[in-house]
Amino acid sequence: MSELRDVFITGTGAILPGERIGNDRMEDFIGRIGGRPSAVGRRALRWNGIEGRHYALNTDGEPLHSNASMCADAVRAALDGAGLSLGDLQHLGAAATQGDYLVPGHASAVQAELGAGPLEAFSYQSVCASALMAAKGAWLSVRAGEADVAAACAGEFSSRWFRPHFYEGSALVDEKGRVRIEADFLRFTLSDGAGAVVMEPRPKPEGLSLKVEWIDMTSLAGRFDPCMWAGSTPEARADMTSAWSHAGPAAAHAAGAVALLQDFDLLKIVIRAWIGVWLEKVDAGRIVPDQVDHLLCHYSARSLRQEIVGLLESTAAMVPEEKWFTTLSESGNVGSASIWVMLDAFMASGRGKPGDRVLCIVPESGRAMIGFMMLEIV
Amino acid sequence: MHRARERAGDDRLHDAGDCVMAEREAEAAVADTLRRLAVVFADFEQRLEATPLIRKLTRGRFEVADYHAFLINLRQQVKDGALWMSRAASNIGEDHLELRSTLMRHAVTEHRDFRLLEADFTASGGALDDIQSAPKNVGSEALSAWMFHEASKPDPFGLLGAMFVIEGLGSIKARPWGLKVQERLALPDEAVRFLLYHGDNDAEHMKEFEEMLGMVLPDPFVAERIVTTAKVTARLYALQIEEIAA
Repeated sequence: MSELRDVFITGTGAILPGERIGNDRMEDFIGRIGGRPSAVGRRALRWNGIEGRHYALNTDGEPLHSNASMCADAVRAALDGAGLSLGDLQHLGAAATQGDYLVPGHASAVQAELGAGPLEAFSYQSVCASALMAAKGAWLSVRAGEADVAAACAGEFSSRWFRPHFYEGSALVDEKGRVRIEADFLRFTLSDGAGAVVMEPRPKPEGLSLKVEWIDMTSLAGRFDPCMWAGSTPEARADMTSAWSHAGPAAAHAAGAVALLQDFDLLKIVIRAWIGVWLEKVDAGRIVPDQVDHLLCHYSARSLRQEIVGLLESTAAMVPEEKWFTTLSESGNVGSASIWVMLDAFMASGRGKPGDRVLCIVPESGRAMIGFMMLEIV
Repeated sequence: MHRARERAGDDRLHDAGDCVMAEREAEAAVADTLRRLAVVFADFEQRLEATPLIRKLTRGRFEVADYHAFLINLRQQVKDGALWMSRAASNIGEDHLELRSTLMRHAVTEHRDFRLLEADFTASGGALDDIQSAPKNVGSEALSAWMFHEASKPDPFGLLGAMFVIEGLGSIKARPWGLKVQERLALPDEAVRFLLYHGDNDAEHMKEFEEMLGMVLPDPFVAERIVTTAKVTARLYALQIEEIAA
């Protein structure tokens, strides 16, 4: 059996479509449900601390891109950054919360947009942590010697799901025209974009690369109901036979089972579960907080961060806040693409030096999952 | 207590250095133990979330009968809680008088809480005799036996781990559960006082808990025992909730 190889991220790419949209113009793009401005929008923005984001549609709701085309652009940018071309690519892992189609998988759409020749393509569908699922697939493939050039990409086109017709005429809007908070909140949280990384068994000849030391994923789906989901109503989401696919599209829409939803009560519990996984890794010595030079943690809201920090400090598990790097407030929460958008901005920032250890953390509320990726700058 | 130590070292440099070192060591030991306890609690909370009773509560199929079963079964543990705590206090030696006092005060504060629970039971339509005469379920039997067994040992510091689990339940879970019960069953405040009241008061207890850990740490054997006791308590507590017919 051949030996496992070291693996390096030799290129990163990020695509944020259109212009940067400030808080004041958001609803021009995602629309106003029932023609009225959102009641919870301002509260959501205070909570998440986001000041700008990008949308892949215009104010009439017409798409400027597809999820797949943004991902393809991000892969091209990452290949460019690595000094490689499309023909070198042997493995493509593509992640998304929701691809452009229901079927087939996102990876085939991205491959088609790339116009790439035959290669291995893998689709990963979950919420934010799907980015690291794709990264783990790419990492293992290069590590095992199955591929010499692998790309992992992730993209989101959330805004189209936030347009008024996803809610109007459904049980999510009451007789007074008010939208349920479980639905409206996410409209002010998520936005569009894509990101990608390229992995190879050796560092780039010039410039900085990132050695992938390990990627750990922990899913706790067996213990929780869905916390962020689309495809079922809030009341019936634990019952798989009530899913949208059983009811059929028209009845599902009427019941409010098509829109993306979030359970906030459960989210608080899931946050504690994520912290539990983190503390377990610190305790096991897998993560030594003092030895982390840069922390790229994808968190959906500023207020969550404050809650987490208190507990981490009292348990000596905190990475000091000056080591945290984030793009949340300026470019928003891009779901699965966020970690790559952050990593791309981090590499461009000049903050990282050879020998620095970079820890990426991606918690996902979907059904309680968290992923960790440890990198070393070389 | 910390300040007193620092002052004692002011005029003697070496001692001052030793004291600062000792204090850091104590802080590190407390943080380490708290972290391990937090991991135990995270697992505990996930187990609780997966119990039939709590699933009923979170999925909206919770009925008054479920609430009554919940109160009946909680009462056993609440009633015994102050008793094992007093017994533990009485087994703490002279070297740890401050901890003994703290546990005694704690026991006094809580030893009538089960009456509040009974009042909630009757305010939500239950008959007093039903809650007072109900037998312990399998999990409550195991939990209670375990607590009294531990509390009967000399210097039973491991029980701090049990307190972390039970206090954590009070400060983190009780209030959200209470609010959910109230919302599902449209009950007045008088019928959910035990759950709501615990959430209001137990945040202070966690601060006090850190101080109690500082009274017995650093000591690797004690730390280990605290974590082990927390794990066993969490497992048996979850069993107690699992056993509530749902």
